[in-house]
Amino acid sequence: MTRYSILFGAAVAAIVVAHMGPLNGAGSTISGTVKVTGLASNADVVVYIQQAPGTFPPAKPAEMDQRKMQFIPHVLPVVAGTTVKFLNSDPTPHNVFSPDNEKYNLGTWPQGQAKDYIFSKCAKPPCVYTQLCRVHPEMEGYIVALQNPFFAVSNKEGHYEIENVPPGSYTLAVWHSKAKAQPKPVTVDAGKPASVDFALAR
Amino acid sequence: MLVCMAWAATESSALAIPAFARKYQTSCQTCHIVFPKLNAFGEAFRLRGYRMPGETEEMVKQPPVSLGAPAYKKLWPQAVWPGETSSSVPLAVNVEMADVNASSLNEDGTVTSVKNDLQFPAEVALLGAGTLGEHVSYWSEVVFGEKADGSVEAEIEQARIGFDSPFGPEDLFHFRIGKFTPNLAAGLKGGIFVSTDAGIDSFFGYNPIGVNGGTGPREMTPAPIAIPGSVRGIEGYGIIKHRALWVAGLVNGIGPSAGGNFDGNNSKDVYARFDYKIGGMGLDGDTGGQPYVPEKNWRDNSLRLGVFAYRGDGSNIDFPMTLEDGAERHMQDVNFLRTGVYANLFFQDLNVVGAYLHGTDSLKAFDTESGALMRAIEPNWHAWFTQADYVIYPWLQAGFRYETVTPADVSVPSLRTGVFNVSALVRANVKLMVEYQRDMREGDNHSLNALLRFVF
Repeated sequence: MTRYSILFGAAVAAIVVAHMGPLNGAGSTISGTVKVTGLASNADVVVYIQQAPGTFPPAKPAEMDQRKMQFIPHVLPVVAGTTVKFLNSDPTPHNVFSPDNEKYNLGTWPQGQAKDYIFSKCAKPPCVYTQLCRVHPEMEGYIVALQNPFFAVSNKEGHYEIENVPPGSYTLAVWHSKAKAQPKPVTVDAGKPASVDFALAR
Repeated sequence: MLVCMAWAATESSALAIPAFARKYQTSCQTCHIVFPKLNAFGEAFRLRGYRMPGETEEMVKQPPVSLGAPAYKKLWPQAVWPGETSSSVPLAVNVEMADVNASSLNEDGTVTSVKNDLQFPAEVALLGAGTLGEHVSYWSEVVFGEKADGSVEAEIEQARIGFDSPFGPEDLFHFRIGKFTPNLAAGLKGGIFVSTDAGIDSFFGYNPIGVNGGTGPREMTPAPIAIPGSVRGIEGYGIIKHRALWVAGLVNGIGPSAGGNFDGNNSKDVYARFDYKIGGMGLDGDTGGQPYVPEKNWRDNSLRLGVFAYRGDGSNIDFPMTLEDGAERHMQDVNFLRTGVYANLFFQDLNVVGAYLHGTDSLKAFDTESGALMRAIEPNWHAWFTQADYVIYPWLQAGFRYETVTPADVSVPSLRTGVFNVSALVRANVKLMVEYQRDMREGDNHSLNALLRFVF
């Protein structure tokens, strides 16, 4: 191994570590299963750490599309302050507005265009914003603004996985549009995965 | 007379609804013993506005079509309150075919007999029923009957909308608007009976009009003034603490008027009922926190007791008649009161149900030309029935009913009728029924009918 190759490897490692950030260095995974009693699907449950130490700048912009007359994804958790780009992939005009929290109405726009909204006014996360379309009243989606980036959304089977959680003791909570469950404590040890299951009911 | 007219009123307003079987992907047996007779779960389903006890989204196998996201509730009145409709057309068809054998004694002493009149079909009914979101339900029923001359009569048996638990504790308040079988008649008519009759002739078909009061059940125009099997109006009802049922209604009453209005006059009739169920499943399907795991879906060891009353106003509604002097008169039932008690016992495979009805009328006869009051009487009459049904096999049930009416006119002896019925489910939605009816005063009045009925 040459001196140059060692220097190159060290530089690459330094760049990777720098991009991982201070909390991600020894991150572990919290995973588990959520069961929503009474509903046909266990999907769209947001599992999140209620409060993590430190502040978390907004991540890169997220996207919520309007396609086949649906908000996709149906549920989108973001770190408070994140910009969400609302796309319209349908041949029909769509509108986006929310009656929740500070309330907003982004107007109506045609296929291929998009509008942004910054979820920066969430003073006390989690802040749930119902997304509605005036043109198509049956459409409904949710954006959940959270304090930190340690969250996941369950799939149809109810499985979720939160990655890169720094070691520590936390309270794990869930949000669903129709069901509830009590938060649970969880301790994350370095390099050891943790498992927490939830049972939600209406 | 009572028997010979029996087939004129075949089962109605007592129907199994395959639209529900499709919606929930479940068998008719979930709600019916031998359709249309409801079991305790089916009665709870009916009373709750066609929602299963403890219903959750996963129980509904045909998800409804959203007519607005639930979040629109937050925007009302700036937006339409969100609702739902069925994802498939919630229609069902009921077909009845009858083989009629009847004998009836005529007034001139002759006997008219009918042998194997194959009424194939006797009746076809088109039904629609379901829910429109959280607090709205509906029921519509159009019946087509083919007459011997090939003509077809259609009748709107029911068409109503229900508002279920719009406020207050769940199931405490339900409201129905339209034309419907009133809950006043619950247990007396409709989903409880397997017999070919729509209900109890003595209760629903009694005609109180007569020189000395009524003589018994018979067809009349305007409609009979007994207790109504079908009303146009508004009804409120609800379930109190799982066990008690309250009912109150405001309806048109006798009709139509001479001018063609649905209401025979401008006064409204009122009715009320109160039931209490001891033991078994709650009227709303409550099981006291225990899981509902019926080994035999018809069993519900319980006793349901009820009292009911109907007050009607028949003023200004004329019934033509002839007094003893032969002069043409018209009579009005200025006001009438019906009161009754009801009991329904389920014990293992046996179900015994009965009711007693007392009627009081205020009859006034007027001279047709001058309008002068010629006679005023206040006759009383009463009727009662008891019926026992026994489940022999899950697909086979036998029943016996005895009913009697003591008319107000004392010159007419009490009418007594016996009915024996055997009903067999060929399939869950195909029923074969054989029924024998006999006028127990007059042996020439009897009938033996077979009925094949299927719904899909």
